[in-house]
Amino acid sequence: MGRYFKIFSTFARACLVRDMTFRANFLLECLTSLGWMSMNLAFYLLIFSFTPEIGRNSGWSREPFFAFVATGLIINSIVQTLFMPSASELTEMVRTGGLDSVLVRPLDAQFLLSMHRFDFSSMANGIVGVALLVWSVSRFSVAPPLIACFLYPVLIVCGVAILYGLIIMLAAATILMGRNQSLYDFWFYITNFSRYPAEIYAGPWGGPLRMVCTFVIPILLVVNVPAGTIARPLSGNAWGMISLTCVVAIISVGVSRIVFQAALARYRSASS
Amino acid sequence: MYNSSETKSDRVIEVNDLAKEYRVYDKPEGLWASIRGLFHREKRTIHAVRGVNLSVGRGEFLAMLGPNGAGKTTFLKLLSGIITPTRGSARVMGHVPWDRADDFRRRFALVMGQKNQLWWDLPAAESFRLHQEIYRIEPVRFAQIHDELVDMLGVSRLLGQPVRELSLGERMKLELIAALLHEPEVLFLDEPTIGLDVVAQHTIHEFLRHVQKQRSVTVVLTTHYMKDVAALCERVVVVTEGSILYDGSLEQIVDRFTTHKVVTLDLEHPPAEGEIEKFGFACEVRGPRVSLRIDRTRIADVLPKLLASQQVRDISVEDVPLEEIVAGLFRGAASRQLNNDREQGARLV
Repeated sequence: MGRYFKIFSTFARACLVRDMTFRANFLLECLTSLGWMSMNLAFYLLIFSFTPEIGRNSGWSREPFFAFVATGLIINSIVQTLFMPSASELTEMVRTGGLDSVLVRPLDAQFLLSMHRFDFSSMANGIVGVALLVWSVSRFSVAPPLIACFLYPVLIVCGVAILYGLIIMLAAATILMGRNQSLYDFWFYITNFSRYPAEIYAGPWGGPLRMVCTFVIPILLVVNVPAGTIARPLSGNAWGMISLTCVVAIISVGVSRIVFQAALARYRSASS
Repeated sequence: MYNSSETKSDRVIEVNDLAKEYRVYDKPEGLWASIRGLFHREKRTIHAVRGVNLSVGRGEFLAMLGPNGAGKTTFLKLLSGIITPTRGSARVMGHVPWDRADDFRRRFALVMGQKNQLWWDLPAAESFRLHQEIYRIEPVRFAQIHDELVDMLGVSRLLGQPVRELSLGERMKLELIAALLHEPEVLFLDEPTIGLDVVAQHTIHEFLRHVQKQRSVTVVLTTHYMKDVAALCERVVVVTEGSILYDGSLEQIVDRFTTHKVVTLDLEHPPAEGEIEKFGFACEVRGPRVSLRIDRTRIADVLPKLLASQQVRDISVEDVPLEEIVAGLFRGAASRQLNNDREQGARLV
């Protein structure tokens, strides 16, 4: 484990050195993602100038909703920083045969492929997310209970694990198909659902969609459950969702590992 | 089988009936064919490696020689566990390669001339540091090997330069250092001199020869270049169409696959028409300079007669160039394969 942490640090260090080498690019990426995030926040502020709450009796009034947005920012920032750059690169590695050099290393291939490249500029959103979370929570009418403060980071990790499992399964599809350029697009479409409170998915179309996005592709658990834990009272239903999120996180990582190993066994490599 | 006298424990690589087949689809030209291809595709089987048997002893330097598409790289990918075979078995240092056990992967290295394994945007020193962590090399030992290899190739000034700014030759030297840092027992080299100039090729030949002798590394090298083979290897495996055509020493190729020698003469005067042809096949007549192909069994009889009949300024008797012999082998194998394929009919499945 210590060795893997050391290798992780070496990768992280090397990527930081590379990012610093292309300083202007690094700063531009930070500014772009901060700009995109600011526009989103402005959009939500605009919505709250018309309504005090999103959804009827949903509990997502202004400050809790900003805690929700902050949770989404933190989780997405972790995924975008740690896993997404490597997963995006995998498509090219499979197409060009670059994966060959990974498979000959005496190291877990999944670890090497999912954590060899980092995008530190994506951390900017996470930092703003933490600040937004602190600001929102400090303005709650009732402070969150201590147990919620303890569960929140655990559920953040679970949310990241669910997304990681999905990324790995998409990456496995890349290995099997030889080319999967739609990986990033598909990822964007899927994660788009997780950016809004589950309560908005109601009615004849919304209900089934909510079920699918909770139990089939459990994307709605990723942000909703940690955000709900910190921003809303811990009811009986909340405990059920917390348990479900923890179980789904473990299953997601486990299944993704099986799928990834099966895909590696079928790797064809590319012509030299 | 070459070197059949060696004991089982001396064998580092053992391959039995190893085969790799790929199913590919034929994509006909045109828009309509592309649309049709969305629903129905005609697939065929490519036999990249066809039931190969091979045994390599500890410390051997073996070259796999073959034209493009012969299956050399596929064979190396099988031996290094990158891909799994369709059938057959292989053991490298006692391990089944495609099980990808860490104990196995720690003991070999693969260098691909056409693929970059170093971090592109960073100096090679950063990649070396990562290798140290991945292969768990003790810091003192790492420094010792690193310095030794860097000195041998004279690349100390390149270590701090981003890899993307290096020439192909410089990059290949650094790739070789990265591959040797963990002191592999087996080294797979896939066309390591491809695209390099003569000086860089020579440096890499010298380096590989030295390292292989000093550390008794077992090396399997794939190449198109006879120069690589002549400079480095005692044993040559000629591969075409996924099968082994020849397995033996370089010298034996000449004995086995040629029946004649090339005699080059510098005469005082250009020969009269038809005068020189009675001694052998005239492959080149350019003024007073003549090249003849003469049957090896007749050479001792023909030469005295030739010297007696002509005023000769200079003479040389040589074997047919190796490139020519090997190219002949490749052509022969390709046409045999084509005939086989015709006999068996189209292999569409």
